[in-house]
Amino acid sequence: MSQRDLVAELRSAHVEAPDRLRQRVRLVAAAAPAPPRRFTWRRALVVAVPVVAAVAAAVVFARPASHEQQATPPTVRAAVEHGAAAQPRAASPSGALAVPSPLSRVQTVSETLSLRVRDVSGAVKRAVRVAMSFGGYATAVDAATTRTSGSADLTLKVPRAHVQAAIAELAQIGTIVAEHVDVTDRQAGLNATDRLIARLQKQLATLRAQNAPAAQIAALTQRIASLQRGEAATRRSAHYATIHLHLATPQPAAVHRSHHHGPLHGVAVALEWLGIGAVYALAIGVPVVLVLVLGWLAARLVRRRREDALLSRR
Amino acid sequence: MTNRRLVAYNEGMTFQQAAEAHLDDVYGYLVWFTSDRFAAEELTGTTFERALRLWDRFDPSRGSARTWLFQVARTVALDHFRSERRRLRREQLAAPPEAVEFRFADGLSPDVEAALGRLTAGEREVVALRVLLDLDAGAAARILGISPTNCTTRLNRALKKLEEALDVAA
Repeated sequence: MSQRDLVAELRSAHVEAPDRLRQRVRLVAAAAPAPPRRFTWRRALVVAVPVVAAVAAAVVFARPASHEQQATPPTVRAAVEHGAAAQPRAASPSGALAVPSPLSRVQTVSETLSLRVRDVSGAVKRAVRVAMSFGGYATAVDAATTRTSGSADLTLKVPRAHVQAAIAELAQIGTIVAEHVDVTDRQAGLNATDRLIARLQKQLATLRAQNAPAAQIAALTQRIASLQRGEAATRRSAHYATIHLHLATPQPAAVHRSHHHGPLHGVAVALEWLGIGAVYALAIGVPVVLVLVLGWLAARLVRRRREDALLSRR
Repeated sequence: MTNRRLVAYNEGMTFQQAAEAHLDDVYGYLVWFTSDRFAAEELTGTTFERALRLWDRFDPSRGSARTWLFQVARTVALDHFRSERRRLRREQLAAPPEAVEFRFADGLSPDVEAALGRLTAGEREVVALRVLLDLDAGAAARILGISPTNCTTRLNRALKKLEEALDVAA
Protein backbone atom coordinates (compact mmCIF):
# COMPACT_ATOMS: atom_id res chain seq x y z
CA MET A 1 0.00 0.00 0.00
CA SER A 2 1.40 3.40 -0.98
CA GLN A 3 1.61 6.21 1.53
CA ARG A 4 -1.06 8.12 -0.43
CA ASP A 5 -3.50 5.20 -0.17
CA LEU A 6 -2.64 4.79 3.47
CA VAL A 7 -3.37 8.44 4.21
CA ALA A 8 -6.61 8.23 2.23
CA GLU A 9 -7.73 5.22 4.26
CA LEU A 10 -6.79 6.87 7.54
CA ARG A 11 -8.71 10.00 6.54
CA SER A 12 -11.77 7.96 5.69
CA ALA A 13 -11.79 6.47 9.17
CA HIS A 14 -14.43 7.75 11.51
CA VAL A 15 -14.64 7.66 15.28
CA GLU A 16 -17.95 8.48 16.91
CA ALA A 17 -18.45 9.05 20.59
CA PRO A 18 -20.84 6.58 22.26
CA ASP A 19 -24.22 7.90 23.35
CA ARG A 20 -23.53 7.57 27.05
CA LEU A 21 -20.45 9.76 26.65
CA ARG A 22 -22.46 12.29 24.64
CA GLN A 23 -25.08 12.41 27.39
CA ARG A 24 -22.40 12.86 30.03
CA VAL A 25 -20.73 15.73 28.17
CA ARG A 26 -24.12 17.37 27.54
CA LEU A 27 -24.80 17.23 31.27
CA VAL A 28 -21.41 18.80 31.95
CA ALA A 29 -21.99 21.51 29.34
CA ALA A 30 -25.46 22.26 30.71
CA ALA A 31 -23.82 23.36 33.95
CA ALA A 32 -21.85 26.02 32.08
CA PRO A 33 -22.76 29.56 33.23
CA ALA A 34 -23.60 32.35 30.79
CA PRO A 35 -20.39 33.66 29.24
CA PRO A 36 -19.26 36.81 31.05
CA ARG A 37 -17.95 39.74 29.10
CA ARG A 38 -14.37 38.83 28.40
CA PHE A 39 -11.48 40.95 29.55
CA THR A 40 -8.98 41.32 26.76
CA TRP A 41 -5.79 43.34 26.64
CA ARG A 42 -7.00 45.05 23.49
CA ARG A 43 -10.17 46.28 25.24
CA ALA A 44 -8.13 47.37 28.25
CA LEU A 45 -5.71 49.26 26.02
CA VAL A 46 -8.52 51.05 24.20
CA VAL A 47 -9.54 52.53 27.56
CA ALA A 48 -6.16 52.83 29.24
CA VAL A 49 -4.15 54.51 26.46
CA PRO A 50 -6.38 57.62 26.09
CA VAL A 51 -6.67 57.96 29.88
CA VAL A 52 -2.89 57.79 30.36
CA ALA A 53 -2.35 60.22 27.47
CA ALA A 54 -4.88 62.67 28.93
CA VAL A 55 -3.33 62.48 32.40
CA ALA A 56 0.19 62.95 30.99
CA ALA A 57 -0.94 65.92 28.90
CA ALA A 58 -2.66 67.48 31.90
CA VAL A 59 0.46 67.06 34.04
CA VAL A 60 2.77 68.48 31.38
CA PHE A 61 0.66 71.46 30.27
CA ALA A 62 -1.04 72.38 33.55
CA ARG A 63 2.32 72.64 35.30
CA PRO A 64 3.58 76.26 35.28
CA ALA A 65 6.71 76.74 33.24
CA SER A 66 9.87 77.03 35.31
CA HIS A 67 10.84 80.41 33.88
CA GLU A 68 7.48 81.84 34.95
CA GLN A 69 8.03 80.60 38.48
CA GLN A 70 11.52 82.03 38.71
CA ALA A 71 11.01 85.26 36.81
CA THR A 72 10.63 87.41 39.95
CA PRO A 73 13.25 86.11 42.43
CA PRO A 74 16.33 87.87 40.95
CA THR A 75 14.59 91.25 41.23
CA VAL A 76 13.32 90.45 44.70
CA ARG A 77 16.72 89.20 45.76
CA ALA A 78 18.42 92.34 44.46
CA ALA A 79 15.89 94.47 46.29
CA VAL A 80 16.44 92.55 49.50
CA GLU A 81 20.17 92.82 49.23
CA HIS A 82 19.94 96.48 48.55
CA GLY A 83 17.44 96.95 51.35
CA ALA A 84 19.72 95.12 53.76
CA ALA A 85 22.64 97.28 52.77
CA ALA A 86 20.60 100.44 53.23
CA GLN A 87 19.05 99.41 56.52
CA PRO A 88 21.66 100.73 58.99
CA ARG A 89 21.71 104.26 57.62
CA ALA A 90 19.49 106.47 55.52
CA ALA A 91 19.71 106.09 51.76
CA SER A 92 20.13 108.97 49.32
CA PRO A 93 17.72 109.38 46.37
CA SER A 94 20.27 107.56 44.18
CA GLY A 95 20.17 104.55 46.49
CA ALA A 96 23.71 105.09 47.84
CA LEU A 97 24.37 105.49 51.55
CA ALA A 98 24.44 109.12 52.73
CA VAL A 99 26.49 109.57 55.87
CA PRO A 100 26.53 113.16 57.16
CA SER A 101 30.02 114.40 57.79
CA PRO A 102 30.04 117.96 59.23
CA LEU A 103 32.73 120.10 57.64
CA SER A 104 33.27 121.98 60.90
CA ARG A 105 35.00 118.88 62.25
CA VAL A 106 38.04 117.13 60.89
CA GLN A 107 37.06 113.60 59.87
CA THR A 108 38.54 110.96 57.56
CA VAL A 109 35.92 109.44 55.32
CA SER A 110 36.49 106.17 53.46
CA GLU A 111 33.82 104.64 51.30
CA THR A 112 33.83 101.31 49.45
CA LEU A 113 31.32 100.94 46.67
CA SER A 114 30.75 97.83 44.51
CA LEU A 115 28.78 98.33 41.32
CA ARG A 116 27.51 95.94 38.69
CA VAL A 117 27.99 97.53 35.27
CA ARG A 118 27.57 96.40 31.67
CA ASP A 119 30.65 98.15 30.25
CA VAL A 120 33.61 98.19 32.61
CA SER A 121 35.81 100.34 30.37
CA GLY A 122 33.17 103.05 29.97
CA ALA A 123 32.33 102.93 33.68
CA VAL A 124 35.99 103.47 34.64
CA LYS A 125 36.20 106.57 32.43
CA ARG A 126 32.95 107.90 33.79
CA ALA A 127 34.01 107.31 37.42
CA VAL A 128 37.29 109.20 36.90
CA ARG A 129 35.37 112.04 35.23
CA VAL A 130 32.97 112.21 38.21
CA ALA A 131 35.92 112.40 40.65
CA MET A 132 37.57 115.16 38.61
CA SER A 133 34.34 117.12 38.26
CA PHE A 134 34.23 117.46 42.06
CA GLY A 135 37.87 118.53 42.25
CA GLY A 136 39.10 115.07 43.02
CA TYR A 137 41.43 112.61 41.28
CA ALA A 138 42.14 108.92 40.88
CA THR A 139 45.05 107.52 42.86
CA ALA A 140 44.86 103.97 41.51
CA VAL A 141 43.05 102.29 38.64
CA ASP A 142 43.22 98.53 38.05
CA ALA A 143 40.95 97.25 35.27
CA ALA A 144 40.79 93.95 33.44
CA THR A 145 38.30 92.86 30.81
CA THR A 146 37.72 89.77 28.69
CA ARG A 147 35.23 89.12 25.89
CA THR A 148 32.43 88.17 28.23
CA SER A 149 33.33 89.74 31.58
CA GLY A 150 35.37 92.44 33.19
CA SER A 151 36.18 94.11 36.49
CA ALA A 152 38.01 97.19 37.75
CA ASP A 153 39.17 98.57 41.09
CA LEU A 154 39.60 102.32 41.46
CA THR A 155 40.77 104.43 44.38
CA LEU A 156 39.41 107.96 44.09
CA LYS A 157 40.10 111.02 46.20
CA VAL A 158 37.23 113.51 46.34
CA PRO A 159 36.97 116.62 48.53
CA ARG A 160 35.02 115.72 51.64
CA ALA A 161 32.64 118.57 50.98
CA HIS A 162 31.47 116.87 47.76
CA VAL A 163 31.72 113.23 48.75
CA GLN A 164 27.95 112.75 49.07
CA ALA A 165 27.33 114.23 45.65
CA ALA A 166 30.18 112.21 44.16
CA ILE A 167 28.89 108.96 45.64
CA ALA A 168 25.42 109.77 44.34
CA GLU A 169 26.76 110.27 40.83
CA LEU A 170 29.00 107.22 40.98
CA ALA A 171 26.01 105.14 42.03
CA GLN A 172 24.35 106.14 38.75
CA ILE A 173 27.06 104.34 36.78
CA GLY A 174 25.68 100.90 37.63
CA THR A 175 23.71 98.88 40.13
CA ILE A 176 24.93 98.96 43.72
CA VAL A 177 25.92 95.49 44.84
CA ALA A 178 27.60 96.40 48.14
CA GLU A 179 28.56 99.54 49.99
CA HIS A 180 30.64 100.30 53.04
CA VAL A 181 31.24 103.68 54.69
CA ASP A 182 33.87 104.39 57.35
CA VAL A 183 34.01 107.80 59.06
CA THR A 184 36.65 108.49 61.73
CA ASP A 185 36.58 111.72 63.70
CA ARG A 186 40.06 113.34 64.09
CA GLN A 187 38.88 116.56 65.72
CA ALA A 188 39.46 115.49 69.32
CA GLY A 189 43.05 114.42 68.54
CA LEU A 190 43.70 117.72 66.76
CA ASN A 191 42.31 119.72 69.68
CA ALA A 192 44.63 117.87 72.06
CA THR A 193 47.57 118.54 69.76
CA ASP A 194 46.62 122.24 69.63
CA ARG A 195 46.60 122.41 73.39
CA LEU A 196 49.95 120.64 73.57
CA ILE A 197 51.47 123.05 71.02
CA ALA A 198 50.13 126.07 72.99
CA ARG A 199 51.62 124.71 76.18
CA LEU A 200 54.97 124.04 74.49
CA GLN A 201 54.97 127.55 72.98
CA LYS A 202 54.43 129.05 76.44
CA GLN A 203 57.25 126.91 77.76
CA LEU A 204 59.46 128.06 74.86
CA ALA A 205 58.69 131.75 75.65
CA THR A 206 59.63 131.16 79.31
CA LEU A 207 62.92 129.49 78.33
CA ARG A 208 63.79 132.39 76.03
CA ALA A 209 62.99 134.89 78.83
CA GLN A 210 65.26 133.01 81.25
CA ASN A 211 68.07 132.84 78.60
CA ALA A 212 68.07 129.08 78.73
CA PRO A 213 70.71 127.14 76.80
CA ALA A 214 70.32 127.36 73.01
CA ALA A 215 70.20 123.55 72.61
CA GLN A 216 67.20 123.22 74.92
CA ILE A 217 65.37 126.01 73.05
CA ALA A 218 66.19 124.42 69.66
CA ALA A 219 64.88 120.98 70.79
CA LEU A 220 61.63 122.47 71.99
CA THR A 221 61.24 124.51 68.83
CA GLN A 222 61.82 121.37 66.72
CA ARG A 223 59.19 119.43 68.67
CA ILE A 224 56.62 122.18 68.21
CA ALA A 225 57.34 122.31 64.47
CA SER A 226 56.96 118.51 64.23
CA LEU A 227 53.60 118.59 65.98
CA GLN A 228 52.42 121.39 63.72
CA ARG A 229 53.48 119.42 60.60
CA GLY A 230 51.61 116.36 61.79
CA GLU A 231 48.52 118.41 62.48
CA ALA A 232 48.68 119.98 59.03
CA ALA A 233 49.06 116.54 57.41
CA THR A 234 45.99 115.23 59.24
CA ARG A 235 43.94 118.25 58.14
CA ARG A 236 45.13 117.77 54.54
CA SER A 237 44.28 114.08 54.47
CA ALA A 238 40.89 114.77 56.01
CA HIS A 239 40.17 117.27 53.29
CA TYR A 240 39.79 114.40 50.79
CA ALA A 241 37.54 111.40 51.23
CA THR A 242 38.78 108.09 49.82
CA ILE A 243 36.40 106.15 47.62
CA HIS A 244 37.26 102.53 46.77
CA LEU A 245 35.19 101.70 43.75
CA HIS A 246 34.81 98.11 42.50
CA LEU A 247 33.18 97.67 39.11
CA ALA A 248 32.25 94.29 37.65
CA THR A 249 30.09 92.93 34.86
CA PRO A 250 27.30 90.48 35.78
CA GLN A 251 28.50 86.88 36.09
CA PRO A 252 27.51 84.83 33.02
CA ALA A 253 25.73 82.40 35.26
CA ALA A 254 25.10 78.92 33.97
CA VAL A 255 22.25 78.89 36.46
CA HIS A 256 20.31 81.28 34.25
CA ARG A 257 20.13 78.66 31.55
CA SER A 258 18.37 76.23 33.82
CA HIS A 259 15.87 78.96 34.71
CA HIS A 260 14.49 78.94 31.17
CA HIS A 261 12.90 75.54 31.08
CA GLY A 262 10.42 74.74 28.37
CA PRO A 263 7.02 73.17 29.04
CA LEU A 264 8.43 69.73 28.25
CA HIS A 265 11.27 70.02 30.78
CA GLY A 266 9.36 67.79 33.21
CA VAL A 267 9.03 65.12 30.55
CA ALA A 268 12.76 65.33 29.83
CA VAL A 269 13.59 64.96 33.52
CA ALA A 270 11.19 62.03 33.82
CA LEU A 271 12.75 60.39 30.76
CA GLU A 272 16.21 60.96 32.20
CA TRP A 273 15.24 59.20 35.41
CA LEU A 274 13.51 56.48 33.46
CA GLY A 275 16.75 56.01 31.51
CA ILE A 276 18.74 55.74 34.73
CA GLY A 277 16.19 53.29 36.08
CA ALA A 278 16.35 51.30 32.85
CA VAL A 279 20.13 51.04 33.09
CA TYR A 280 19.88 49.77 36.68
CA ALA A 281 17.07 47.40 35.73
CA LEU A 282 19.17 46.08 32.84
CA ALA A 283 22.25 45.66 34.99
CA ILE A 284 20.33 43.77 37.67
CA GLY A 285 17.58 42.27 35.55
CA VAL A 286 19.55 40.79 32.66
CA PRO A 287 21.45 38.22 34.77
CA VAL A 288 18.25 37.33 36.62
CA VAL A 289 16.31 36.98 33.38
CA LEU A 290 19.16 34.93 31.89
CA VAL A 291 19.11 32.52 34.84
CA LEU A 292 15.31 32.29 34.66
CA VAL A 293 15.40 31.62 30.91
CA LEU A 294 18.08 28.96 31.33
CA GLY A 295 16.06 27.38 34.13
CA TRP A 296 12.94 27.43 32.02
CA LEU A 297 14.79 25.87 29.06
CA ALA A 298 16.25 23.15 31.29
CA ALA A 299 12.82 22.43 32.80
CA ARG A 300 11.28 22.26 29.32
CA LEU A 301 14.00 19.90 28.13
CA VAL A 302 13.49 17.59 31.09
CA ARG A 303 9.70 17.70 30.62
CA ARG A 304 10.04 16.87 26.89
CA ARG A 305 12.38 13.96 27.60
CA ARG A 306 10.01 12.56 30.19
CA GLU A 307 7.06 13.07 27.86
CA ASP A 308 8.87 11.35 24.99
CA ALA A 309 9.73 8.45 27.26
CA LEU A 310 6.11 8.26 28.37
CA LEU A 311 4.78 8.27 24.81
CA SER A 312 7.33 5.87 23.40
CA ARG A 313 5.29 2.86 24.55
CA ARG A 314 2.70 1.24 22.30
CA MET B 1 -9.93 31.36 8.36
CA THR B 2 -8.27 34.71 9.14
CA ASN B 3 -7.41 35.51 12.72
CA ARG B 4 -10.16 38.15 13.04
CA ARG B 5 -12.82 35.84 11.67
CA LEU B 6 -11.52 33.08 13.91
CA VAL B 7 -11.84 35.31 16.96
CA ALA B 8 -15.35 36.38 15.96
CA TYR B 9 -16.31 32.74 15.36
CA ASN B 10 -14.85 31.59 18.69
CA GLU B 11 -16.21 34.55 20.67
CA GLY B 12 -19.72 33.80 19.54
CA MET B 13 -19.39 30.16 20.59
CA THR B 14 -20.68 29.01 23.97
CA PHE B 15 -19.19 26.08 25.85
CA GLN B 16 -22.23 23.96 25.02
CA GLN B 17 -21.80 24.63 21.32
CA ALA B 18 -18.07 23.89 21.46
CA ALA B 19 -18.67 20.65 23.36
CA GLU B 20 -21.38 19.52 20.94
CA ALA B 21 -19.29 20.41 17.87
CA HIS B 22 -15.99 18.86 18.94
CA LEU B 23 -16.97 15.89 21.11
CA ASP B 24 -16.33 13.28 18.39
CA ASP B 25 -12.98 14.82 17.49
CA VAL B 26 -11.77 14.89 21.10
CA TYR B 27 -12.96 11.34 21.64
CA GLY B 28 -11.31 10.15 18.40
CA TYR B 29 -8.04 11.85 19.34
CA LEU B 30 -8.04 10.18 22.76
CA VAL B 31 -8.96 6.78 21.30
CA TRP B 32 -5.97 6.90 18.97
CA PHE B 33 -3.70 8.40 21.60
CA THR B 34 -4.50 5.87 24.33
CA SER B 35 -5.48 2.94 22.09
CA ASP B 36 -8.08 2.17 24.72
CA ARG B 37 -11.76 3.00 24.08
CA PHE B 38 -12.85 2.69 27.70
CA ALA B 39 -10.02 4.87 28.90
CA ALA B 40 -10.69 7.32 26.04
CA GLU B 41 -14.36 7.56 27.04
CA GLU B 42 -13.45 8.29 30.64
CA LEU B 43 -10.75 10.76 29.62
CA THR B 44 -13.11 12.57 27.24
CA GLY B 45 -15.57 13.12 30.08
CA THR B 46 -12.75 14.36 32.30
CA THR B 47 -11.51 16.60 29.48
CA PHE B 48 -14.84 18.40 29.13
CA GLU B 49 -15.22 18.75 32.91
CA ARG B 50 -11.78 20.35 33.11
CA ALA B 51 -12.46 22.44 29.99
CA LEU B 52 -15.61 23.83 31.61
CA ARG B 53 -13.60 24.95 34.65
CA LEU B 54 -10.97 26.54 32.40
CA TRP B 55 -13.35 27.97 29.79
CA ASP B 56 -12.91 31.59 30.95
CA ARG B 57 -9.17 31.24 30.33
CA PHE B 58 -9.72 30.30 26.70
CA ASP B 59 -8.42 33.13 24.49
CA PRO B 60 -10.10 33.07 21.05
CA SER B 61 -7.32 35.17 19.56
CA ARG B 62 -4.73 32.46 20.22
CA GLY B 63 -6.47 29.59 18.49
CA SER B 64 -9.73 27.80 17.88
CA ALA B 65 -11.82 26.17 20.57
CA ARG B 66 -11.14 22.83 18.87
CA THR B 67 -7.36 23.24 19.22
CA TRP B 68 -7.76 24.40 22.81
CA LEU B 69 -9.90 21.34 23.65
CA PHE B 70 -7.23 19.08 22.16
CA GLN B 71 -4.63 20.78 24.40
CA VAL B 72 -6.80 20.13 27.46
CA ALA B 73 -7.37 16.55 26.31
CA ARG B 74 -3.64 16.01 25.85
CA THR B 75 -2.90 17.21 29.42
CA VAL B 76 -5.59 14.85 30.73
CA ALA B 77 -4.18 11.99 28.67
CA LEU B 78 -0.61 12.58 29.85
CA ASP B 79 -1.82 12.52 33.46
CA HIS B 80 -3.55 9.24 32.61
CA PHE B 81 -0.38 7.80 31.07
CA ARG B 82 1.64 8.70 34.15
CA SER B 83 -0.82 7.08 36.54
CA GLU B 84 -1.09 4.07 34.22
CA ARG B 85 2.68 3.66 34.18
CA ARG B 86 2.78 3.65 37.96
CA ARG B 87 -0.13 1.20 38.11
CA LEU B 88 1.46 -1.11 35.52
CA ARG B 89 4.76 -1.15 37.41
CA ARG B 90 2.93 -2.33 40.48
CA GLU B 91 0.68 -4.87 38.72
CA GLN B 92 3.30 -6.33 36.37
CA LEU B 93 5.07 -7.65 39.45
CA ALA B 94 1.98 -9.76 40.20
CA ALA B 95 0.68 -10.63 36.70
CA PRO B 96 1.45 -9.35 33.15
CA PRO B 97 -1.47 -7.50 31.45
CA GLU B 98 -3.64 -9.40 28.98
CA ALA B 99 -3.83 -8.40 25.31
CA VAL B 100 -7.25 -6.88 24.52
CA GLU B 101 -9.00 -6.85 21.13
CA PHE B 102 -9.17 -3.19 20.00
CA ARG B 103 -10.42 -1.18 17.00
CA PHE B 104 -9.10 2.33 16.40
CA ALA B 105 -11.86 3.48 14.09
CA ASP B 106 -14.63 2.39 11.78
CA GLY B 107 -13.62 2.01 8.15
CA LEU B 108 -10.05 0.80 8.64
CA SER B 109 -8.77 -2.48 7.26
CA PRO B 110 -7.48 -5.06 9.78
CA ASP B 111 -3.95 -4.61 8.39
CA VAL B 112 -4.02 -0.87 9.02
CA GLU B 113 -5.49 -1.46 12.49
CA ALA B 114 -2.67 -3.90 13.22
CA ALA B 115 -0.07 -1.52 11.84
CA LEU B 116 -1.46 1.32 13.98
CA GLY B 117 -1.13 -0.96 16.99
CA ARG B 118 2.60 -1.18 16.34
CA LEU B 119 3.06 2.57 16.60
CA THR B 120 3.98 4.24 19.87
CA ALA B 121 1.50 6.56 21.58
CA GLY B 122 3.49 9.58 20.41
CA GLU B 123 3.42 8.42 16.79
CA ARG B 124 -0.30 7.61 16.88
CA GLU B 125 -0.94 11.03 18.38
CA VAL B 126 0.70 12.94 15.52
CA VAL B 127 -1.06 10.76 12.91
CA ALA B 128 -4.39 11.35 14.64
CA LEU B 129 -3.93 15.09 14.75
CA ARG B 130 -2.57 15.59 11.24
CA VAL B 131 -4.38 12.88 9.27
CA LEU B 132 -7.51 11.74 11.12
CA LEU B 133 -8.46 15.18 12.49
CA ASP B 134 -6.89 17.06 9.57
CA LEU B 135 -5.16 19.78 11.61
CA ASP B 136 -2.53 21.88 9.89
CA ALA B 137 1.09 21.62 10.99
CA GLY B 138 0.97 24.85 13.03
CA ALA B 139 -2.08 23.87 15.08
CA ALA B 140 -0.82 20.33 15.65
CA ALA B 141 2.60 21.65 16.66
CA ARG B 142 0.97 24.02 19.17
CA ILE B 143 -0.90 21.12 20.77
CA LEU B 144 2.25 19.00 20.94
CA GLY B 145 4.41 21.89 22.18
CA ILE B 146 6.95 21.50 19.38
CA SER B 147 7.85 23.37 16.19
CA PRO B 148 5.85 22.78 12.97
CA THR B 149 8.97 21.37 11.30
CA ASN B 150 9.44 18.90 14.11
CA CYS B 151 5.77 17.98 13.87
CA THR B 152 6.07 17.27 10.13
CA THR B 153 9.18 15.17 10.73
CA ARG B 154 7.37 13.13 13.39
CA LEU B 155 4.43 12.59 11.02
CA ASN B 156 6.66 11.43 8.17
CA ARG B 157 8.46 8.97 10.46
CA ALA B 158 5.15 7.64 11.77
CA LEU B 159 3.72 7.20 8.27
CA LYS B 160 6.90 5.49 7.10
CA LYS B 161 6.71 3.12 10.07
CA LEU B 162 3.06 2.40 9.25
CA GLU B 163 3.98 1.75 5.63
CA GLU B 164 6.77 -0.63 6.63
CA ALA B 165 4.46 -2.46 9.01
CA LEU B 166 1.90 -2.86 6.22
CA ASP B 167 4.56 -4.12 3.81
CA VAL B 168 5.68 -6.69 6.35
CA ALA B 169 2.08 -7.76 6.87
CA ALA B 170 1.56 -8.12 3.10
